[in-house]
Amino acid sequence: MKNLLRYALTRILLTIPMLWILLTLVFVVLRIMPGDPVSAMLGGHAPERVIEQKKEELGLNRPILAQYFDYLGDLARLDLGNSMIYNQKVSQPLLQKLPATLELTMVGMAFTMLIGIPLGAYAASRRRTGRDFSIRLFGNVAYCIPVFWMGLMLQLVFGIWLDLLPIAGRTGPRVFVKDFQNTGFYLLDTLLAGQWASFADVALHLLLPSLTLGIVLSGIFIRLTRANMLDTLKADYVLAARARGIPERRVVYGHALKNAFIPVLTMLGLQFAALLAGAILTETTFSWPGMGRLLVERIYLRDYPTIQGVIVVFAFFVSLVSLAVDLIYALIDPRVRY
Amino acid sequence: MASPMTPPKAAGTRFSVAGGLARLLARFSAAHRKYGVEWWILITGAALILFAIYMASFPATLARYDPLDQEAGPQMATPSRAHPMGTDNLSRDVLSRMIHGSRTILGVAFAAAILSSLIGIPLGLLSGFAGGPLDRVLSLVMDSIYSFPGLILAIAFAAMLGPGVVNITLSVAVIYIPTYFRLVRGQTLSIKEELYVEAARAIGAPRRTILGRYIFPNVIATVVVVFSLNIADAIMTEAALSYIGLGLPAGIPDWGMDLSMGKKFLPSGVWWMITFPGAMISLLALGFTMLGEGLSEILNPRLLEK
Amino acid sequence: MKRLLLILALVILAAGVVVGAGKTIVYGTTEKMTNLDPAEAYDFHTWEIFYNVYQGLLNYTPGTTQIVPGMAESYSANPAGDEFTFKLRKGVKFTDGSPFNAQAVKWSIERVMTLAGQPSWLVTDYVDSVSVVDDYTVKFKLKFPCAYFHTVVATPPYYPVSPNIYPADKIIWDPAEMAGGQLVGLGAYKLVSFKRDEEVILETNPSYWGKKPAVDRVVIRYYADATTLRLALEKGEVDIAFKTLNPSDIKDLAANKKYTTYKLPGPQIRYLCFETSESVFQNKLLRRAVAALINRPDIIQKVYLGQNSPLYSMVPNGMIYHSDDFKTVMGDGNVALADKLLAQAGFSAAKPFQFDLWYTPSHYGDPEVNMAEVLKVQLEKSKAIKVTLQSAEWAAYKEKWKHKEMPVFFLGWYPDYLDPDNYTAAFAGTSGSAGMGIYFSNPDWDALFVKEQSNADPKVRESVFKEIQKRWTDEVPTAPIWQGDLYVFTKPSVKGIKIGPTLQFLYSELSMQ
Repeated sequence: MKNLLRYALTRILLTIPMLWILLTLVFVVLRIMPGDPVSAMLGGHAPERVIEQKKEELGLNRPILAQYFDYLGDLARLDLGNSMIYNQKVSQPLLQKLPATLELTMVGMAFTMLIGIPLGAYAASRRRTGRDFSIRLFGNVAYCIPVFWMGLMLQLVFGIWLDLLPIAGRTGPRVFVKDFQNTGFYLLDTLLAGQWASFADVALHLLLPSLTLGIVLSGIFIRLTRANMLDTLKADYVLAARARGIPERRVVYGHALKNAFIPVLTMLGLQFAALLAGAILTETTFSWPGMGRLLVERIYLRDYPTIQGVIVVFAFFVSLVSLAVDLIYALIDPRVRY
Repeated sequence: MASPMTPPKAAGTRFSVAGGLARLLARFSAAHRKYGVEWWILITGAALILFAIYMASFPATLARYDPLDQEAGPQMATPSRAHPMGTDNLSRDVLSRMIHGSRTILGVAFAAAILSSLIGIPLGLLSGFAGGPLDRVLSLVMDSIYSFPGLILAIAFAAMLGPGVVNITLSVAVIYIPTYFRLVRGQTLSIKEELYVEAARAIGAPRRTILGRYIFPNVIATVVVVFSLNIADAIMTEAALSYIGLGLPAGIPDWGMDLSMGKKFLPSGVWWMITFPGAMISLLALGFTMLGEGLSEILNPRLLEK
Repeated sequence: MKRLLLILALVILAAGVVVGAGKTIVYGTTEKMTNLDPAEAYDFHTWEIFYNVYQGLLNYTPGTTQIVPGMAESYSANPAGDEFTFKLRKGVKFTDGSPFNAQAVKWSIERVMTLAGQPSWLVTDYVDSVSVVDDYTVKFKLKFPCAYFHTVVATPPYYPVSPNIYPADKIIWDPAEMAGGQLVGLGAYKLVSFKRDEEVILETNPSYWGKKPAVDRVVIRYYADATTLRLALEKGEVDIAFKTLNPSDIKDLAANKKYTTYKLPGPQIRYLCFETSESVFQNKLLRRAVAALINRPDIIQKVYLGQNSPLYSMVPNGMIYHSDDFKTVMGDGNVALADKLLAQAGFSAAKPFQFDLWYTPSHYGDPEVNMAEVLKVQLEKSKAIKVTLQSAEWAAYKEKWKHKEMPVFFLGWYPDYLDPDNYTAAFAGTSGSAGMGIYFSNPDWDALFVKEQSNADPKVRESVFKEIQKRWTDEVPTAPIWQGDLYVFTKPSVKGIKIGPTLQFLYSELSMQ
């Protein structure tokens, strides 16, 4: 127990320098961007003195090191600064769009597991047969399909040709968000407000984008589940269960899968980074009002504080998830220690 | 990215790169008999790649039209005998654009992979071999970057540097350096402990020799596998950057850009402008993945686990 | 499943119709509203909202370029042309009850001058001082005699705002910052809800002095891109779709009988700019050669599916004193002329003229990159030219032109005020030209500009502008390409769409059947 505590503490402390490195990297990358953002923002007719004044206001005339410490200081106080293009705090659009991205990511993750784990388990149970190979092939191919292309193809088939599902946005005609706006997670909000029709609408809008994410990332889960299942299926207790005459299906899904599940869960955490990257591309394709699309839009506008803010939030989430995963893993696997 | 790599278990003594290669070839022929399916996966992957390389090197032999020719046919025509992949909104032949576009994407992916390996491998060797505070600091930095979604970093770099082939290559290369670093460092750490390395040190072999003659050749095998998988990933990243609009300026056929242009015509029912570029990206990435996976199975036999 | 959804949708729709009192129109656009202050906003969409929420001293007849009285019943200029006196409408109040009078006008103008926002030059470049003659008479003293000042006064920076509601020293970005949390001016509507990049809601203004509009509520919904807007229209989510749809979307929607299509002449022009002071284009022969190779109908057909009009002068089609000089002098795709000029400059197929052609990928909409690609092919029809395409996002693009890094680049223009001066002096007058990255400077031209600016006699102005347009084909500081048509798509039940080249879209003219 003491060992575990020591590991946990070390790991948590390690998150700080890792986060700091990422934040510094972000700062460095963004400060070297070409194009004076202030004169770009103020438009062609702005007189020099106004540009200079704005630069003073934003602290861009100070030496780069001073700006760096300002930046770190602000972050420590959870102040993400103000947008350069619109007069709003960076946190405003961020907080507004964060739930959209998280909802998409979580439902996407759910699909990944729903597709990947059963398929992987099935492949393991039928190893080296035609079905095993076709499932593995599917996994490989799915992984190689660019997530935005998968999104476009799904839009084409289900949105344009079959005209069954919506292909853009989070809500549809005449569904007014302010009627149920609460946490920002629309699936939850519509249920809380008791609006079944809106719930259906929101769910349908969520279907294609999260399915896109789910299919593309399922490849890894198929492979991992399969590998872990193969190991588990060789274990003694499985042999014993089989000897006792328990039906194969129960052996595979009831016993083996449960034990193979845990490393898969931790894999989920590690795939979080890939999910976020995929979410950015999916949001662009489905006009999903999330942080990914915010990032892309603000890059065109050279709105550095917002760009910085989005990346910082991503970095924070990734570090958090990675920390959680390592801790859970340590809890389960006593071999992992510092 | 790749599945976790394990160092070769059945390690005999390997004293030269030539010997190592010879062993590789021996393994290959043995592999053919032992691994039916994996062998075929490797071959398919290799075939796809060779074809892609040919396509990228000699596009004119395959493409009937100039990819920039805006009078190749009718505007936005559906696929037909004359234009097997249809024409785009500027009346350019899509098939020709696909063929010529392979050069861009393959070129960027290769260059990025080479660049990141050239930086990541020496750093990994150094870090693993030297150990100590240098190792700890470098590992920390590399781990931080590795855990972060690579695409976001690439986007930030590409946005900062602006459009252009060199800039895109740099943006893509940056995110794979930690991959090579970690791999090589891990390998170095384990090989460092091997008996023959200790022996070499005992007889006073200079560090350079140990690194160059013992550690490096053993690392090569896994690096080759990762290199192939890396190119697959780089292809997808380059396509993603072009899709978002951070790629190359117009005038160079690029699959990602064609996808993003084709997207605008989707509601009009124009499916061929997006189907083919995406399929090409997938195929190419698949080729490199299959090659990598196939190589991995053969070089790192896991008889018991299969 | 689909049928179930349809039934659900119908039920919701029916419920909405029963519950919602009064007429509501939903208007979809891909534009963005920037901020809510006439002293700062400098984009057409925000100005469009201002046309409906505020009122100027002078207005335009809806759908035309004819100036009519607004908050000012009449105006007059002194013989020298540098003093304008406006007689204001009496008996109008702002929403908080404070009277609309000359003091309010003076206060508003001085506020714009002090705050020095983006459009403030429209005031500070022209107006020297504002004075109150009496409660309902206000006098503008100009810095120089200006023949077209009345068109300038019709722009939003001149709109009177209430001194009680607007802070004198701060720009308003959000209605929440104002007393009462709502935006009210002297116009037919007031802004009641503002969710940036999502939705803006306007309702009729009870204190409006004019006729009450037929539509009680206008909901403006913002869409991320053209495709989403098109889909929204097709799914019935919006009643009006305006700005900006892709050419293929326009083509499909225009062919669809389910929607009413409005094609209106627009004020936007697109053109090529040359950096004339230090780049390879210092030599006007080369500028003329490039201009001669432009094939406008080809660009319009290929890239815009025929949806815009070719432009042969910087002064747009339909504007006073317009003359198709580029057509008569060069025509389209004139390879012979170009080759001749290039040869004179010392270039040939063996030694081609190489340069970078710049464009900006997203600021002007998605087809921009296609236009660059098509122009490149057109230019290279002359074997003595080799073009490399380069691009930069808008912010970097502006920087580059300021620093003379782009020898030739695409630009677009929406007019500030509707007078040929705004389309010409801004590019070829010494000060304006530098601001646009063209750096053209010719004292003869400057003299001509001063002449047309200060002389109100239409005959004098006409001769000056005809001369300028003619000279333009010789010096070619810019080469005009096309003029934009505006497309509005509505459900058949919507009537009253009157949008003129001023881009004034008055919601008060709308009605639903």
